Amino acid sequence: MSAAEKPSKETKDDKKGKKIQLHENDLLCKNGCGFYGNPAWQGFCSKCYREVYQSARQAQMQHDAHRQEAKKKVDLPTSFSKFAEKKTQQSNKRANTVKAIFRKTPAKDSDQSTTVKKETRRSSIESQKIGHEFMEFLKTLRKPAALEISKNVRTFIEKVPPYEDVIEVSNLVQDFYQSLNDKLLSSSLFKGLSHETIEKVMDYTERYILTRLYRYIFCPPTINDEERDLELQAKIRSLHWVTAQQLEALINENDPDIRQEVDKAITDIIELDSKRATQDKLDSVVKCSKHIFEALRQTKQGPASADEFLPALIYIVLKANPPLLQSNIQYITRFANPSRLMSGEAGYYFTNLCCVVNFIQNLTAESLSLSQQEYDRYMSGELTPSNDSQYMCEGLRLMHENLRSLSDMRTRQEKMMAETLQLQQDMVEFKDDFIREIHRVVENNPLIIKPRKTKVDLDETEDTKNLNLPSPLLPQQVTPLDTNSSTQEEQVSQGQITTNTACNDLPVTD
Amino acid sequence: MSGNKVDIKVVLLGKSYAGKTCLVERYLHERFNGETVPYQNTIGAAFGAKKVDVNGKKIVLGIWDTAGSERYESMSRIYYRNAKAAILCFDLTDKSSFDRIRFWIGELQTHEEACKIYICATKKDIIDADPNTRDVNEKEAQALAKDVMAELYETSSKTGENINELFMAIAQYYLETVKTTEVKEDMIYLNEVKKRLPCSCKST
Repeated sequence: MSAAEKPSKETKDDKKGKKIQLHENDLLCKNGCGFYGNPAWQGFCSKCYREVYQSARQAQMQHDAHRQEAKKKVDLPTSFSKFAEKKTQQSNKRANTVKAIFRKTPAKDSDQSTTVKKETRRSSIESQKIGHEFMEFLKTLRKPAALEISKNVRTFIEKVPPYEDVIEVSNLVQDFYQSLNDKLLSSSLFKGLSHETIEKVMDYTERYILTRLYRYIFCPPTINDEERDLELQAKIRSLHWVTAQQLEALINENDPDIRQEVDKAITDIIELDSKRATQDKLDSVVKCSKHIFEALRQTKQGPASADEFLPALIYIVLKANPPLLQSNIQYITRFANPSRLMSGEAGYYFTNLCCVVNFIQNLTAESLSLSQQEYDRYMSGELTPSNDSQYMCEGLRLMHENLRSLSDMRTRQEKMMAETLQLQQDMVEFKDDFIREIHRVVENNPLIIKPRKTKVDLDETEDTKNLNLPSPLLPQQVTPLDTNSSTQEEQVSQGQITTNTACNDLPVTD
Repeated sequence: MSGNKVDIKVVLLGKSYAGKTCLVERYLHERFNGETVPYQNTIGAAFGAKKVDVNGKKIVLGIWDTAGSERYESMSRIYYRNAKAAILCFDLTDKSSFDRIRFWIGELQTHEEACKIYICATKKDIIDADPNTRDVNEKEAQALAKDVMAELYETSSKTGENINELFMAIAQYYLETVKTTEVKEDMIYLNEVKKRLPCSCKST
């Protein structure tokens, strides 16, 4: 860590041309083999580190064995406490003897806590899900092959927990990938498997192992990843004022469409931390990169190249400040299948992300083409980005955006209210008009209540027809010769009626 | 290493505007950025993979474009780590871009010996149209290439001249050398496994 930082200060003056100063010799392996070293490997290159580490470990194991024997003679503890003893011994030893390589954190002395954690880990939803998927996939293979694979994976997972040191686990995991891959390619048991199937087996194995062991191997307390996470996070936070222009990133954030892509990219890079398998983590990086390319394409009105992509990714990482970024990168480099990181799209974008982290860690005034004075003033908060269109912090930008959408909503609501009132008015007017119209119509055409038409019978129609007929002939009045003429006359008239009716209808009267 | 699928990493290095991106675009999509072809289909040309067939063997060329700006120069070694081939691009009409490739040659020779260097002169079409625009002497370029045992290709992304040849040469060279190195790698690897196995058994 310090090896990476120191030279940047020392060489600042003598190497003016370079923007980020790392003295070449500081980057080389401490062993002098000519390869590059890495701070994560204590300044050794991967090969030398393994060698150094291996011998240290062997020496330590011998030492442990001696101690154990000595202990056995003194007392015979129960099997578990012996195991626990060994564990504490190992961790203590590591801290004392190879202090230069391993840094000890106080949290890991308690063996109890690790065993308890182991219990809860078994039942995590993610593990169950991927376990199930893996099983389903193995069912598609021939039985002996599937059994062999699952046996291998299972024994491997059980083998890991006693190891405390994450680099040791990383070596184990990488060796396991390699040996499993070799087995798949050479063993007669797996003959006839297509190349794609083998790749899938490897993929599932990686996924399964890492998901199962995730809590155990991600950002473990035995290594200073967490410290470095915080350091990086603090650095990013202190650089909140950096604008896209200063990085020469071609992102026009004022355009809402582009802004949306940027937001998506930020979400994706933050999601990186929530995924467990390396594949999924890398997927997040790829998705983020795709969104950045889209944003660049829209800004530039043409396809973007690496020249534009890198600054844009730096900008996105600065704005997103993804949680545990350093841990995630370390985790991926330690546990991902190396072929994935060395080739393919995911490898490319991951490499870019590593570059970005590197750049941010070593960011100085010159990296942003600022004078030291300006840079210091920005850092102290004296200066704020001059460009108003740039948002200064996410919260403020969100607030402005929300205000804008609120006012937009208000105008729309007002418009709607106005339209509602208008509609109401229209309805009232319509009603009035309608009533008026009805009145007018009623006045023009007064309602005449016609007599109710009665039901007509066939008989009655005949009757009415007859009504139009000339009145029937009346019988001649013949004066009877009766004496009581007056009464007679009355009777006659009655009789006349009866005859009349009798004439019309057939006799109804009795 | 992993069966019959061969995937090699090819890194493009060169000053900004030296024509790296156009070169990739030309090779992968058979088109030139300057043309009035709509490029909605590609969102970016920073990474590309292309399958090539060399004597019946299939190779995937993963082409990694890098940012050319000097600002990111110090990080370029992260990019060319484990690359099998590096294409150093320079602009025939720009002398400064040619001078810059010496820097990368130095870098590659010290840190990534396994990486084969190809020097690629770009924008040949401009020179062809007007010989006066040439800023880099062909002899000088050839001398440099000979000096570092690299191959020199003068290309034009506009016409496509020499571009397929360049990438085919990379694939062919890789296949020729891979046989000998692969065996060695395997041997080292097997020894390592044997060394480690007893350790892991002991502790369980």
